[in-house]
Amino acid sequence: MPSAKSTARSLCGLAVLLLTCAASGPAHAAADADQVAQLQTRLEESLKAIDQLTARVRELEARMDAVQPGGTAAVAGAGGAPGAAPAAPTGAAPPATSAPGAAPEQRLTSLENEVAAITAANAARHEDMGLPLHGFADVGAGTRNPVNPNLHGAAVGSVDFYLTPQLGAHTRSLFELNFKIGTNGDLVTALERAQLGYQFGDAATVWLGRFHTPYGYYNTAFHHGQQISTALRRPGVVQFETTGGVLPAHAVGLWLQGSSRLDLGRVTYDAYVANAPRIVGGVLDSNNAGNAHGDALYGGNFGYLPGGSLDGLRFGVSAFGTKVQDDLVVRNLTRVNNYGVYAVYDTDRWENIAEYYWFDNKDLSGATGSHNSDMGFIQLAYRAGLWTPYARYEHSDLDQTDHYFSAQRFGNSYYRTALGVRYDLDWSSALKLEIAQTHVTDRNIDTYEEALMQYAIRF
Amino acid sequence: MRYASRKDSAWSVLRRAVLPLFAALTLANLPVASRAEDLYIICHPSVTLSPADLRDVFLGEKQFAGQVRLLPADNSAARATFLEKVLRMDYAKYLTAWTKKSFRDGVNPPTVSGSDAEALEYVRRAPGRCSYITSAPGPGVLVVATF
Repeated sequence: MPSAKSTARSLCGLAVLLLTCAASGPAHAAADADQVAQLQTRLEESLKAIDQLTARVRELEARMDAVQPGGTAAVAGAGGAPGAAPAAPTGAAPPATSAPGAAPEQRLTSLENEVAAITAANAARHEDMGLPLHGFADVGAGTRNPVNPNLHGAAVGSVDFYLTPQLGAHTRSLFELNFKIGTNGDLVTALERAQLGYQFGDAATVWLGRFHTPYGYYNTAFHHGQQISTALRRPGVVQFETTGGVLPAHAVGLWLQGSSRLDLGRVTYDAYVANAPRIVGGVLDSNNAGNAHGDALYGGNFGYLPGGSLDGLRFGVSAFGTKVQDDLVVRNLTRVNNYGVYAVYDTDRWENIAEYYWFDNKDLSGATGSHNSDMGFIQLAYRAGLWTPYARYEHSDLDQTDHYFSAQRFGNSYYRTALGVRYDLDWSSALKLEIAQTHVTDRNIDTYEEALMQYAIRF
Repeated sequence: MRYASRKDSAWSVLRRAVLPLFAALTLANLPVASRAEDLYIICHPSVTLSPADLRDVFLGEKQFAGQVRLLPADNSAARATFLEKVLRMDYAKYLTAWTKKSFRDGVNPPTVSGSDAEALEYVRRAPGRCSYITSAPGPGVLVVATF
């Protein structure tokens, strides 16, 4: 409740105001009328401006709806009532605020469907990956061609393609085609491997065709894969038949292989029966088309990988036997029995490989009797980041009265010491350097040094 | 009294704003950290495997689970974690291991999915398939191991 004192004060104030207005009224009446007219004009102009702005806002909202279809209905409704004056947008406001809530859901659902379709399509893509083609290639240079001692300088190594078509749950296949430059500079092509197999399970796969003979470790682990082998070249004792080897690196026949994990590690095995090789022109030939005399090459390999704290370690034994005939004027037939042992220690840091082979051959066509020979190598490599230095010692002591060796062009004895380094340029290419000294200890006794370089890739 | 009042006020601010904020950030970060470390090795329900088999499966040494042919697939979105936790090798060594295996034995390396969703869909589609993802897979697949 206002007090009497404040009421009196208010009444006095009102009286003073009335007196003031009454005194000045007649003098300013005309001026006031002008001011009111001006204000009225300005008010009308302002209302027009408001109308124009409202129309402009509607126009812009309509354009936005055209860009964002989800919000069209509400705002188009507002814009669709041109006669409705400034109140129209206000009336359209509620649907305009609810529409964006619904539209993202629609868009999200649409997006989810799209992602699901893409995911399903990508998942289905795994079912038809086509036929992957992989391979290796290498080129190099050296002071002495490893195959032809009369040549030096740059040389093409080989280009090697391999295919592994996936044919079904149990059917397997492997094809390898190799192109290389022969000792006389000609291009040599070879169907390195042509295997068709049936896989019963992890424990047994049967292959039929031409395959890498599974003796020791090196021959099947690296073969033409120069990029995946640490050293610049294969050890001489396990070289290919045409480039210095005395072992049948390839075989044509039936091959059973498998592996099984046990409590104490994993075991691997290979057993094979193939065409007996022959010696043609001083070189072992695997008789791709079959042999004439019907003899067989048979052998096996048994490996053991302890795993656990000894992960990376593998050792095993291998053996093969066959009868080999040469093509000399007076043909010789030799019973060849070979026994091998090998050990591998392959970890993040080390790649150490040792193989040793012993021959117990018997002359079946003459009277020279039995002959014993042996050969082997040891290679130590240490992976220090991109650099992998390695050292290798090779040795072969082959009985030259044994027709199996004397009939072969590369059947001489030797020993070699090599030091090298591999530098990984990236995951698929490597540069290798090697220096080596070789002593040929029978036939044409000789000692020579080599400095070799190689650039090897895989793809 | 005024000093004490300020102290109370500061403590009050700390208690009401900073601590809840800290707690919220901690809680928000914890699930993220654990998600980053989670890895689910999944297979189609037709597959019977033990965690000890996984290394052999993804390196091609084990290709069958009983009569079912195993078809492992990598998930590029989680491959680094998988290689670190399960195979304990880097990508370059993994590639080399598969090149050696493929060249020697004619075994094809795993196909590659681009995301968890794709890996999950791949595994669900057919028997024998295995892969790995970084979030819980839900029904329809078998979780062989979690890392």
